[in-house]
Amino acid sequence: MTAVLEMRGIGKAFGAVKALDAVDFDCRAGEIHVICGENGAGKSTLMKVLGGSYRPDTGEVLLEGAPVRFHHPREARAAGISIVHQELSLLPFRTVAENIFTGMEPTRWGLLDRQRMDERARALLRRLGSAIPTRALVADLSIAEQQLVEIAKAMLVDAKVLVMDEPTAALDDRDARSLLDLVVRMKAEGVAVIYISHRMPEVMAIADRITVLKDGRQIWTRDRVDVTVNAIVTAMVGRELQDFYPARAATGPGSPVLEIRGGRNALLRDIDFVARAGEIVGIAGLEDSRKSALAQALFGDTPFSAGEVRIAGRPASIRSPREAAAAGIGYLPGDRKREGIAPRQSVRDNVLLTLQAMAPAFASPNGGARSRPKVDQSLRDMDVRAGDFGQEIATLSGGNQQKAIIARWLMQNPRVFVFVEPTRGIDVAAKAAIYQTMRALADAGRAIVMVSSDLPEIIGVSDRIVVMHQGRIAGELPAGAEEGAVMRLALGVADAPSVREMAS
Amino acid sequence: MSVDTLSAGRARRGFRDLPVPLVVIALAAIIYVAAAVITGQTNQISLPGLSGLLQRTVALGLVGLGQTFAILVGSIDLSVAALISSVAVLASYLMQGDPGMIVPAILACLALALVIGAVNGGLVAYWGINPLIATLSTGLILQGVLAAGYTYWSGRVAPEFQALAYQSLFGVPLPVLLLAVLALLAWFVLAKTRFGAHLYAVGGNPDGAKLAGLRVERFVLAAHVIASLGACVAGLYLAARLQSGTPWIGRDGIYDLESIAIVVIGGTVLSGGKGGVLGTLAGVLLFASLDASFNMFGVDAFLKQVLRGAIVIAAVAVYAVRNKGHVA
Repeated sequence: MTAVLEMRGIGKAFGAVKALDAVDFDCRAGEIHVICGENGAGKSTLMKVLGGSYRPDTGEVLLEGAPVRFHHPREARAAGISIVHQELSLLPFRTVAENIFTGMEPTRWGLLDRQRMDERARALLRRLGSAIPTRALVADLSIAEQQLVEIAKAMLVDAKVLVMDEPTAALDDRDARSLLDLVVRMKAEGVAVIYISHRMPEVMAIADRITVLKDGRQIWTRDRVDVTVNAIVTAMVGRELQDFYPARAATGPGSPVLEIRGGRNALLRDIDFVARAGEIVGIAGLEDSRKSALAQALFGDTPFSAGEVRIAGRPASIRSPREAAAAGIGYLPGDRKREGIAPRQSVRDNVLLTLQAMAPAFASPNGGARSRPKVDQSLRDMDVRAGDFGQEIATLSGGNQQKAIIARWLMQNPRVFVFVEPTRGIDVAAKAAIYQTMRALADAGRAIVMVSSDLPEIIGVSDRIVVMHQGRIAGELPAGAEEGAVMRLALGVADAPSVREMAS
Repeated sequence: MSVDTLSAGRARRGFRDLPVPLVVIALAAIIYVAAAVITGQTNQISLPGLSGLLQRTVALGLVGLGQTFAILVGSIDLSVAALISSVAVLASYLMQGDPGMIVPAILACLALALVIGAVNGGLVAYWGINPLIATLSTGLILQGVLAAGYTYWSGRVAPEFQALAYQSLFGVPLPVLLLAVLALLAWFVLAKTRFGAHLYAVGGNPDGAKLAGLRVERFVLAAHVIASLGACVAGLYLAARLQSGTPWIGRDGIYDLESIAIVVIGGTVLSGGKGGVLGTLAGVLLFASLDASFNMFGVDAFLKQVLRGAIVIAAVAVYAVRNKGHVA
């Protein structure tokens, strides 16, 4: 078998972050090559390079032996590379057929040939085992049906290389099975299939070869028959633990501060969750685990629609961020630029945001607890480094912005802190400072909930690790659990035979 | 993206399945007929009365056709009012009453519109400038140049050109026929051609359109050129109707904001990707029948603006309810 696609030494950096570092990858005709990797391992970036969305800084791409350089996705598509994208790229107010043919509409006498569009769309969907009416609006379809339309769209061109980026993430078991059948059929037709997934059972069922990426580097590429699930998991997580995590509290946790019983909403099911005074609870999970939905539910942004919430033992109703703040919950959003700071306002105003929001309508904006000396004191307590607290917060480093947001909540004196991706985009030294702050907050008797995609951070900082999988809590692990154990829960393969496996 | 939306609503959705243009046209008809009956001016419900009503739709309708394209790709054009004035002034200045200059003047106006459309589109699509700011600025520049130079550019259109605005064919005023033909053309392009499908794709999901291989910027540029051409034809019509152009006819007609209003009333969503010119025509018809009804009642013109505003709000509210549950 010859390699239809070869990628050699692909490197791609965004600013100082190396998203891909000298990655070699190839895929043969009639082969399913699975790519595994943690969040941010570089899987999607590699496929964006292949699809012409990104241009690589180094390395080359060869299609059927000839080097190619794509400057626009249209060139990649014309060359026979079809990609089923992870985030849906459909037009909600157009019909199924129109969506499938976007950019490649057949014409007759210069006019759209709707009849042919319908016929071919129907045939494509039938091949996918689906009978979605081709004239239905995409907005009226379920997510699973939309995913099928997306796949039909990619199959429209006679693909030499078909890329599927977590195609089954939104599908239930039956739909996922018919999709896998289809992938196997495509392979039999001689298509080179690149399949990205972290559902281990399906990876083991369909893969011919498996490549593991981690931190933008290729760990290994092996034949499926030579690997086990545990070997993949080890390769995905194996790395050295850094030692800048603060020491854990000597005493055990206190009484429960935040309790959720049977919490559920559109994204979450059966959430039973407790955070106790003095502990840091880490919440881990993969991208589709909806762990950030849990954080939003805890803070009332997208509240639980059912279930019971107690704060310090008393029933509480948290249906909006305002109620959450009033009940003593502080929240550090994951997308700091968009949800955390008002970039053009001063550091001081940013710190005052919540206090002013919760103050009586006609109170002086800088009265009492909101006075300038108190604000400045709070900022100094948090060790926020700024030339002048009157300067725009956007001019501060990410770490200092994060500390300013913590200061904002500290002035409110909350009992619970929800941190979402607290160290994303922050340099190493600032990370250590944030960890120390979190530990200090916990030691002062607060409960800390830390939602993070960064496994070493989850393991290094948490007193207890709650792992989520597809909107449910998959399990709970004690402090210092192995990365492999967390990853197995997150992948939903916790029942697989457990083998001792830390990269040494 | 909200998740887990079930496909239960596909089968029957009651009033949501009614096409927007039909509902709006029915509303316009009810208002017009009711006003005529109540005020006893039933002679308004006749061929001449109706053709008078349709004549009122022409200028705004022409601008609205172009504006529909800009809004469909997710952009907007605030420079149309200034462009209308510019075209009207340019046409009357070039003609100076000479019938031999009719064709050259029209060509010059079209060229001006092409340039303005290309500048708008270029700023929005290639320079990434917010369309509100970009087109507001080109409009301000045009308006400023006009105000400064108008004293040197006075003139009047040729009588033969003026006659076009007042003649009829088979009892239908020529300008109404022009609007109908251009609307048909616009509908055809949007519904039947590949170019039209691409405009919807670009407006509905720019990133998705790019991944599907479309050169998104070109379609945004083209939509802006079409928006300017619509304004150009409206300007020519107004020049013919009024004998000569002034720098204020576009601004006084509030063609920028009202064209956006009728597009929105017609069911085209401001974020792009959904809608069409039939809705826009229905929207302008609704505005025109409101105008006519107020005239029949002899009510203050300012009250008319209040009702127009209320209708835009009501329309948007109704669409928001209709689209509830749609995954965008």
